[in-house]
Amino acid sequence: MITLQAAVTGALVGGLYALMAAGLSATWGVLRVINLAHFGLILIGAYLTYQVATSWGLDPIATLLVSAPALFVAGALLQGAYDRLGVAGFNSLLMSFGLLIVIIQIATNIWTADFQRIAPELNRYATGGLPLGRLILPTPALIAFSFAVVLIGGGYIALQRTFVGRGMRAFAEDRNVAAAFGIDHRRLGLLLGGLSGVSAAVAGMVFALSNSITPTTPYEWFGTVFAVVILGGVGNLLGTLVAGVGIGVLSGLVSVIWSPSTEPFMLFLAVILALLLRPQGLFRTAGAQ
Amino acid sequence: MRTKVLAVFVVAALAATTAACSKKDDGGTTSTPLVVGSTLSLTGAFAATGIIHKVAGEAFIARLNANGGLLGRQVEWKVLDDQSDTAKVGQLYEQLISQDKVDAILGPYATPNILATMAVAERHGLVLPHHTAVLAPQLTYKCQFPGWSIGPTPNQFIPNLLFDALATLPQPPKKIAVLTSQSGSAAFVTNGFGNDKTGLLTIAAQRGIEVVVNAPYPPTISDWGSIAAQVAGAKPDLVINNGLGVDTVNALTAMKQLGYRPPMTFSLFPAPGPLLGLGADSAGVLSVSIFEPNAPLISKAGADAQAIIDDYKSRATTAKIPYTAFETQAAASWNAWQILAASIKGAGKVDHKAMCDWLHANPVDTTFSGRLTFDASKNNFWAPTLGIKQIQNGQWVMVWPSDRAAGTLTGPTAS
Repeated sequence: MITLQAAVTGALVGGLYALMAAGLSATWGVLRVINLAHFGLILIGAYLTYQVATSWGLDPIATLLVSAPALFVAGALLQGAYDRLGVAGFNSLLMSFGLLIVIIQIATNIWTADFQRIAPELNRYATGGLPLGRLILPTPALIAFSFAVVLIGGGYIALQRTFVGRGMRAFAEDRNVAAAFGIDHRRLGLLLGGLSGVSAAVAGMVFALSNSITPTTPYEWFGTVFAVVILGGVGNLLGTLVAGVGIGVLSGLVSVIWSPSTEPFMLFLAVILALLLRPQGLFRTAGAQ
Repeated sequence: MRTKVLAVFVVAALAATTAACSKKDDGGTTSTPLVVGSTLSLTGAFAATGIIHKVAGEAFIARLNANGGLLGRQVEWKVLDDQSDTAKVGQLYEQLISQDKVDAILGPYATPNILATMAVAERHGLVLPHHTAVLAPQLTYKCQFPGWSIGPTPNQFIPNLLFDALATLPQPPKKIAVLTSQSGSAAFVTNGFGNDKTGLLTIAAQRGIEVVVNAPYPPTISDWGSIAAQVAGAKPDLVINNGLGVDTVNALTAMKQLGYRPPMTFSLFPAPGPLLGLGADSAGVLSVSIFEPNAPLISKAGADAQAIIDDYKSRATTAKIPYTAFETQAAASWNAWQILAASIKGAGKVDHKAMCDWLHANPVDTTFSGRLTFDASKNNFWAPTLGIKQIQNGQWVMVWPSDRAAGTLTGPTAS
């Protein structure tokens, strides 16, 4: 039962990993921008949740009314700047890492380097759990998983069935041909950057539900989130969700069967093996999915 | 004419320089400041604690200067931000010593940074008082002086301190879960240090306490769900989290999500504020401390203590530190500054060999840890004043040992 509980909790927490990875994967796959500043946007999303919930007494989930539009604008502006400066590929990795450090410093100046956490009386989700037979589904992880399914599932459907989505897929396949068919890559880039910002807002909110926030937290996310992006296939949203859940389950099982300290070893061993066997990612077919 | 003007100018410049170097104030003291140099982690991973040491140090210097400074000189503190980057620390101390020519140095925050500084201090033969390095076997430089001591074998001292305290309860814990951060600042308490493998696990076995969960975890752990499931399944009498920062907060939160609350919890080096922030969910949690601002302890610390604590609180509030209580970190900082000041006063000059010798030969009276003596054969680690504190009525209260307690240790908290 303990093993099953750990696997179920891990699967739900995988939703958070997928939420964090979705925006990064999409901009990488479609726009060829490896945007490490995305981690900074998630951090700002977490702090906005904390700040708005604390200052205005708003329900933490409702803080998305503030953080989602704010980070949509931030994400779009960021992508606009990358586009105008012609930043892509390896350059984007370096530049966005610098931006991440700037964001972390700004967060330090505003919220200090100390741990910040939404007070228990303002956060009814933090310690809740939904019983399911003998299992318990931790509320924050369940919320993370639900948002991941809705957002990533919605994003996948939008990519498949809307004109804008098809435009993004075409752009990811071949920029020049897509442009010849009238696809405005700048507008698409702004939209995708903005939506990526919204995913960061949601991921940040979910993280803040049950965790303390400190400006250097993003560094702790790097390994797992990149593993999710790579395993899921760069640009593949559904793959991101499946990889997030898979990594969550793997982490939970390894932690219980062996030891939590072996979790990073097993996780990255799995990533290395997966890349050796399927270098394109476990689920990637081609372009943005 | 030009020669005369030039001569007057040179004489005036020399006079001004001389005056600047040896001007006497009304009290007959020289006005050349005595400069202490150090780095602190003001940004990066250690910044939350680094800022505590900055505020405490500024409060100490203000107080020192208000009382005439050192050797009749006002004291200035040149503090550089090491960005929590151990690789930068040694270089910055070299800069402080070789380029800025500071008169004395004080250690940075966090054990890895202090160890990096120790090498520089030893090379230059400088006295190095420091706040927070407690791994005595690693601190071998004879002129390093700790402001916080867990004795020469902290890996044995902390488990014994905890189990001694718990043994006084009507029903001491028999089954424990041990969650250990694989950080160099915490793992030694569980597993021992170096060749000395005595630690919490072996000491628990010696005392007949059963370890039902032994879960080492990486410092970057983000999913506590699986650990929580193991602990909830094993139902120990006590959860010992030899971790740092908010590890215990995250562990307790994950357990609560599964509908479980351990009867008792010990947290090794937590950030004190966030644990209190859990409210009723953290009632009864135990940790270690060298000082808590509890009324009996303040009273015991002497007449100045309350004023120091109030001043610190005011400065910490201004610096936007969320938890403004003057506790272990600030007390360790105060100790380190008092050790430095005492060595300079005792030697009667800024001569580091004389200062080091003086500290080995004389005790230092500190406000918050009492009289300290430094024995080079024990790497200068003085008899520990570390005690056990417990969250009671929303506050940290010292509960052990009895001669330094401000409250009574309480047993299991109802789930």
